[in-house]
Amino acid sequence: MGSPCHFALFDLQPDFRVDLDLLAARYRELARHVHPDRFADAAEREQRLALEQSAQLNEAYQVLRSAPQRARYLLTLRGAELPLEVTVQDGEFLLQQMHWREELEDLQDSADLAGVASFKRRLKAAQDELNESFAVCWDDPQQREQAERLMRRMQFLDKLSFEVRQLEERLDD
Amino acid sequence: MAYSEKVIDHYENPRNVGKMDAQDPDVGTGMVGAPACGDVMRLQIKVNEQGVIEDAKFKTYGCGSAIASSSLATEWMKGKTLDEAETIKNTQLAEELALPPVKIHCSVLAEDAIKAAVRDYKQKKGLL
Repeated sequence: MGSPCHFALFDLQPDFRVDLDLLAARYRELARHVHPDRFADAAEREQRLALEQSAQLNEAYQVLRSAPQRARYLLTLRGAELPLEVTVQDGEFLLQQMHWREELEDLQDSADLAGVASFKRRLKAAQDELNESFAVCWDDPQQREQAERLMRRMQFLDKLSFEVRQLEERLDD
Repeated sequence: MAYSEKVIDHYENPRNVGKMDAQDPDVGTGMVGAPACGDVMRLQIKVNEQGVIEDAKFKTYGCGSAIASSSLATEWMKGKTLDEAETIKNTQLAEELALPPVKIHCSVLAEDAIKAAVRDYKQKKGLL
């Protein structure tokens, strides 16, 4: 990686546990400094540089604020690059995913808003638990395999929560 | 993104959607997932004494291409021997469905599901 570490950009140590409010505050502060509008009258080279920094900052912020992306980034810092698209055969977990998808389908069919709210709470609890498990093992080389598995699970739950939000919007209409 | 007509056909009229008893000794189950897009795919085969796949079922939560890939996979597997089924390649599925490059991984997932189902069956029968 030629570019500086995402964490360093925000003056943070690489860690899974991140104070998201602090991250957001630092992002806003830094974004102001490199905002292209500030360089409207600057030399072309400076403008280009500001644009690059701004893009880098946005990229870093998007990665760090998302738990699964932050997890994948941390594992990449500690070891090999991890492909985005892989096939996993995490049996028990996939079975549970299937149940959750079925449940979500039923909730959609019945337009059950209270059911969706309860689903969201359970999903959030599962995400919190997963994040906690990852936080304690990602930096241990002995547990690398487990950390990768947890990161993949986070990706699934992230996608699931996106679908829950979409369902909520549809039901709101 | 525009889906091909074949993808839409499989998406709107998926073949062989369903579930078999995973405990049945003649049934092989493949369960695979693609974390980044959140797709989950279950593909099951029922194999007769001659080692021919009599029936195949699937259930996929995912995009149209993932559903179409697994639907087509079950169609192609029926009537094939295990060895023949294992030769089905993702490139064949992708070509038949005219999948765009960004959706190739959906056909990879289906191929992996086929292999997982065959392996599960062989494991049950002590063939591995």
